[in-house]
Amino acid sequence: MRIPELERDDVLLRRAAKGDEESFVLLYRRNQAALYRFALRMTGNAWAAEEVVQDVFMTLMREPKKYDPARGPVAAYLFGIARNRVMKHLERLPREVSLEEQQENGAAASAATITAFTPAHWAEQQERSERVRAAVLELPAEFREAVVLCELEELSYEEAAQLCGCPIGTIRSRLHRGRALLLAKLEMLRDVPRRVSAAK
Amino acid sequence: MKCEEFEIIGLERIGRLLTGLDATQSAAAEHASTCPRCAALQESWQEARAALQDLRQVTDAAEAPQRVEMRLRQEFAMRHRTMKARSTAIFAAWPLPTAALLFAGVSWWNWRVSQHQRALLATETTLGVKTVDSVLQRNDGAAADSTLVADNDAGDFTLLPGNLPLEIDDAAIVRVRMQRGALGALGFPVNEERVSDWIQVDLLVGPDGQPKAVRLPE
Repeated sequence: MRIPELERDDVLLRRAAKGDEESFVLLYRRNQAALYRFALRMTGNAWAAEEVVQDVFMTLMREPKKYDPARGPVAAYLFGIARNRVMKHLERLPREVSLEEQQENGAAASAATITAFTPAHWAEQQERSERVRAAVLELPAEFREAVVLCELEELSYEEAAQLCGCPIGTIRSRLHRGRALLLAKLEMLRDVPRRVSAAK
Repeated sequence: MKCEEFEIIGLERIGRLLTGLDATQSAAAEHASTCPRCAALQESWQEARAALQDLRQVTDAAEAPQRVEMRLRQEFAMRHRTMKARSTAIFAAWPLPTAALLFAGVSWWNWRVSQHQRALLATETTLGVKTVDSVLQRNDGAAADSTLVADNDAGDFTLLPGNLPLEIDDAAIVRVRMQRGALGALGFPVNEERVSDWIQVDLLVGPDGQPKAVRLPE
């Protein structure tokens, strides 16, 4: 479905720059979820993801003229800002994952899927998700980014390379390394309960 | 296909492309069936991929909380209200110097117009005086230097014979120097002994340029 001319992101941004609040809100609503998910998957922290999204749109509000339509769509521009903020956050802080946050992050989204599974299935899925989440968050930032973009956001190599501003080969190799590390970490995590039960 | 190739290409193809088999996929599947290490790797990866899918599903509907939108809306409103107020202030500050400039311009223009009118009036009066002089000279040949009288005091003018009283506003008062004998030509009695004396006389000149009344200021 084609978006009408007046509701295109760049048109909305132009109108928002002139003070049209509704255009700004529409632009925000259209892009916030993808940015929030990316930030959440990268940081594993709901507060950090929230801060990233807010920062992105504050930047857009302050300097709307920094966006250059010749360099790509507004969504990619916003994603670029979000990526920078996430990287800064990861550099600045040690990884923070609290159980409460993890549950908070997953609770709203998984509520919809509860009805489709039995409680046992749901509990198993939750456990597996937590394991993978922890493993993903332990990956180095660039490998994590490749895994998040290609595996969780389901972007193509080309799209991921464009967003990260690097060649496709780099994304491919980062993803390969990321997968290897992820597998290793998942194996490690899986071994812990086994070792515990073996010890008992 | 070698194990390294399988790790880089085959694993990806097997995992991602579920529809249709191409040559690479076939080669990868063939390799996995003959290499236990790669088969185990493939199995592990498929398991990890399934776990990643679960994680994706769990966080797929995640959205920024409503409070972020609220904060952004507040910030947006405040920013643009401030900008609007600033532009209004700038706009409102303009009329003051503009009005001053306009006032100065209008004043200067009025001054110029009044100067021009005064010059015109002076020229017309001089022409009028000349006319009076010529009349007087024609009558007597004794009228001399004339000056425009500044004050508009009607004073004690004596109407010249054959003239009706007229409004002082419509007339100009002209001071001339003439010989006393010339007064006789205007219908006044003149002392014969002092006929050659020079005297100053105020003439009330009508709009037609003709003297209507006369006054002796001395």
